[in-house]
Amino acid sequence: MREVIKVENLSKFYGKEQAVDNLNFSVEKGKVFGLLGANGAGKSTSIECILGTRKADGGTVQILGKNPWTDRKEIFEKVGVQFQEANYQQEIRVNELCEETAALYKEPENWELLLSEFGIDKKKKNAVKDLSGGERQRLFIVLALIPKPELVFLDELTTGLDAKARRGVWKILERLKAKGLTIILTSHFMDEVEALCDTICILRKGKTVFYGTVKEAIQESPYEKFEDAYLWISGEEEE
Amino acid sequence: MKTFKKMLKIEGRLSIRDMNMVIFAIIMPLVVLIIMGVIYGKKPAFDGATYTFLEQSFGALSTIAICAGGLMGLPIMIADYRERKILKRFQVTPISAGMILTVHLVIYSLYSLLSVVLLWIAARVFWGVEIRGSLGVFVLGWFLVLVSMLSIGMLVGGVAKNSKQASVIASVLYFPMLVFSGATLPYEVMPGGMQKVVDVMPLTQGIKILKAATLGESVGQVFVPIVIMVALALICIVCSVRYFRWE
Repeated sequence: MREVIKVENLSKFYGKEQAVDNLNFSVEKGKVFGLLGANGAGKSTSIECILGTRKADGGTVQILGKNPWTDRKEIFEKVGVQFQEANYQQEIRVNELCEETAALYKEPENWELLLSEFGIDKKKKNAVKDLSGGERQRLFIVLALIPKPELVFLDELTTGLDAKARRGVWKILERLKAKGLTIILTSHFMDEVEALCDTICILRKGKTVFYGTVKEAIQESPYEKFEDAYLWISGEEEE
Repeated sequence: MKTFKKMLKIEGRLSIRDMNMVIFAIIMPLVVLIIMGVIYGKKPAFDGATYTFLEQSFGALSTIAICAGGLMGLPIMIADYRERKILKRFQVTPISAGMILTVHLVIYSLYSLLSVVLLWIAARVFWGVEIRGSLGVFVLGWFLVLVSMLSIGMLVGGVAKNSKQASVIASVLYFPMLVFSGATLPYEVMPGGMQKVVDVMPLTQGIKILKAATLGESVGQVFVPIVIMVALALICIVCSVRYFRWE
């Protein structure tokens, strides 16, 4: 199986504090990888260093066989990214944001179809700022899918969505995955991680404390439920 | 090209929706022109002058929109896009920073162009204003002012930490230049000492070039301003490219 992304010995310091400590993982085509950990464990910093929006202090990253820090333009033609915090022009409307995003790529996906798939096509003419939290979250997943990506990064995938909308998003992701899309996500919902992720990596204060499948995580802990196992491994339990 | 056109269309629409530039770059210069026209009409600039007061001021008026775009609009827009992490979102797409900046430079240039055309039509129709010198020199001078003001704006937008700081720096540049460079308050009515002080401002130099073109004075007298403007533009462009930050 082909490796879509390979991260080796990634490190990042904020002053003396090590935010990311020797992170290693790789994801094969069509697999879903979950980067987990408490708030401040280093998930978002890791993703930003991988993407090159933050400068890593050490290590190497290969995405689709290329270096994202130097081959930005080529890589992001085929990689979609949804950041944790929404970011858009103040008065922009949904259709304008989609149209503008689609214009950045050589062969974009039909965004009108994506909008209806995610159930927000009726809000096309609305200002993005007037959408509900859940609608906006879905819109940003749509934006990440517009490049027809081979790999997507979804940071805090379903935060702000209600239970039904979350299931809806899972279904769409499952379908995309079946078509060969590789997904890297962070999430605070363990049911979601259990349902979607093939492999996971749990971070604690920047260090990798677990790397393997959900099943292995449960076996490694004294618990039977993944959520309990996660809390035990990530050290959130004691706090 | 497809990317550029789409972005120009959407970013341009957002800019119009925002209304700031429509007010400060299109409406305000016209209002100033009308006030001056009502006050001075077709009166000569001074006793025995071969040109009217309004002709003397026309070059300055044509820079108000450039200042609004270059010194206020552009730097605040760049800082705001960075602060809102819009640039960061663009950073993880194939678009280049140069393309994003170019789109906005074109938008502000279009506002400035529209403004000077409207001013020209109004000034000519109502008060018979004419460009007595070379139109080519006027266009060149106008373009020089445009480039140098936009390059100052790019630099300010690039180095400002956030949009609040950008708007403070922008105000510090914009208002004194607008009031004292001759764009609103005529340079000619200022006392000699004050003229020396305002000569330091790049916009004053630019307006001198435009004035020379409108009134048909020799360009030789404005050789120094041209050199100053070009040098300033080059320095600002180099610095703003060098210090560009997505986040």
